[in-house]
Amino acid sequence: MTAGRGISLAVALILAVAFPFWANEAQPYYLQIAINIIIFAVLALSWDILARTGQLSLAHAAFYGLGAYTSALLTLRAGLAVIPAMLAGALLAAIVAAGLGVLTLRLRGIYFAIATLAFSETLRVTTNQLQFTGAATGLVAPPLLGGQRVVQYLAILTVLVLVVLVSWLVNRSRLYFAFTAIRTNEDVAATMGVDVVRYKVFAFVVSAFFAGITGAYYAHVFLFISPIEAYSLAVSVGALVAPIFGGLYTTAGPVIGAVALRLVEEFLRSAIRSGYLIIYGLILAVVILYMPSGLAGVWATMRGRRRV
Amino acid sequence: MLEGLSRSFGGLVAVAELSLAVEEGQIYAMIGPNGAGKSTTFNLISGLLAPDAGRILFGGRDITALPAAPRTHLGIGRTFQVMQPFHDMTVLENVMVGELFGHVVPKSLEAARRDAEAVCALVGVEPLMDRTVQGLGVADLKRLEMARALATHPRLLLLDEVMAGLTPSEAQHAVGVIRRIRDGGVTVLLIDHVMSSVRDLAERVAVLNFGRKIAEGSFAEVAQEPAVIEAYLGEEAGSPP
Repeated sequence: MTAGRGISLAVALILAVAFPFWANEAQPYYLQIAINIIIFAVLALSWDILARTGQLSLAHAAFYGLGAYTSALLTLRAGLAVIPAMLAGALLAAIVAAGLGVLTLRLRGIYFAIATLAFSETLRVTTNQLQFTGAATGLVAPPLLGGQRVVQYLAILTVLVLVVLVSWLVNRSRLYFAFTAIRTNEDVAATMGVDVVRYKVFAFVVSAFFAGITGAYYAHVFLFISPIEAYSLAVSVGALVAPIFGGLYTTAGPVIGAVALRLVEEFLRSAIRSGYLIIYGLILAVVILYMPSGLAGVWATMRGRRRV
Repeated sequence: MLEGLSRSFGGLVAVAELSLAVEEGQIYAMIGPNGAGKSTTFNLISGLLAPDAGRILFGGRDITALPAAPRTHLGIGRTFQVMQPFHDMTVLENVMVGELFGHVVPKSLEAARRDAEAVCALVGVEPLMDRTVQGLGVADLKRLEMARALATHPRLLLLDEVMAGLTPSEAQHAVGVIRRIRDGGVTVLLIDHVMSSVRDLAERVAVLNFGRKIAEGSFAEVAQEPAVIEAYLGEEAGSPP
């Protein structure tokens, strides 16, 4: 990392930490938006880490929902404190991901995507039926950190910093070589000595852990979860649109993509009252068609750099 | 060393009771018409396919049940007939994958980079190391295939048609590289259709047809075999009516 990049990252982090103290006084609504953006960024980056091994998942909502429901149920039915319950939710999501990862090992591309979608839908339908999980009505979850918005914001910011760190380490280590090789051709990777199963499952577990903790966070910050929200296709699709928009297989891309998309969406929503999603869709289509490596790719080309 | 190896796909028998013994330090060639089972044999040896019957012995050890990656760790490296570069990576990074994962004892990124540069130099892709794979010509892609396999530091190197599509002078260069690899102590098993290269390189040749070995010996010996002439030229030319 160059000194210039280090300084700009430090400045961004200071601003991000200072932001809620200002917003909480001046514009509480902005704080809400910021939390939403960060949730979206964590989901996008965790999805991207999995995608680096060539596994295009449509099950991100499954792990998000698993985290949300596990954590809510543990606090409500077992009397666990919120933070341990959230960690348990993330862990369960990771364990389930290991199982699903092993089951879907032989599936590639679109077949893998369909299998993950089926898994996610199964969870949604099951949760919708069980009285234990509150069925279609959903659950009211206890608040994280006494419901103080500023501290809650700092909590999700910490999660974002963690996932950024993990992603950065992945792209700087031998994992980058293993993931990229597996993504391009599993057979070739195997004959070059890469333990394909191990790395694919590892990526799945890491990815699901962060999706799970984000879901759990959502439950205890917005205090209510229902099957249709927690396991919504919008979460799964959002998690993959942001990396494509911002730049796949990079650390900066998915984060930039998530921030840009949410800001555009917010702006359009307030500027055009009805039908703003049409413009949103148009912008999305143009970027994906004309900037195949996303916003980060355009930036990297301008700076003459290959990996962000 | 292969013992009675068989593999079929549906009703099609690709390899039938094939036995080969490649000696250490040898350059051994497998030739035969298209569809003779040569590439299937490579997939069986490298562990991408499991045989229906038979055993594969490597250095005296039965490796028939081992998956591909551990076989690479034992010392079996291979190239692919249809070139399969990792296109999101540079040439050097492609080779580094072999250096990083091809050994039982893990290498640091720095050591892997250094050793990969040496391998690039050996096969002659040194000037291209920092380029992405996109836009490379056939000859360079073939060299990259070889470099990646060599980066796993194999004891046995399987070369699947590394001469195909090369100009005569490029093929000449490849012959030199393969000799140097063998002189470095690597056993080479190769498949090729370029007969002049096979003649120049191979100490022993096996001819396959319809998954069976129909002849084995020196190049000169197998070239005399009526069964070989028949397989290559067809029955009418090979045998009297």
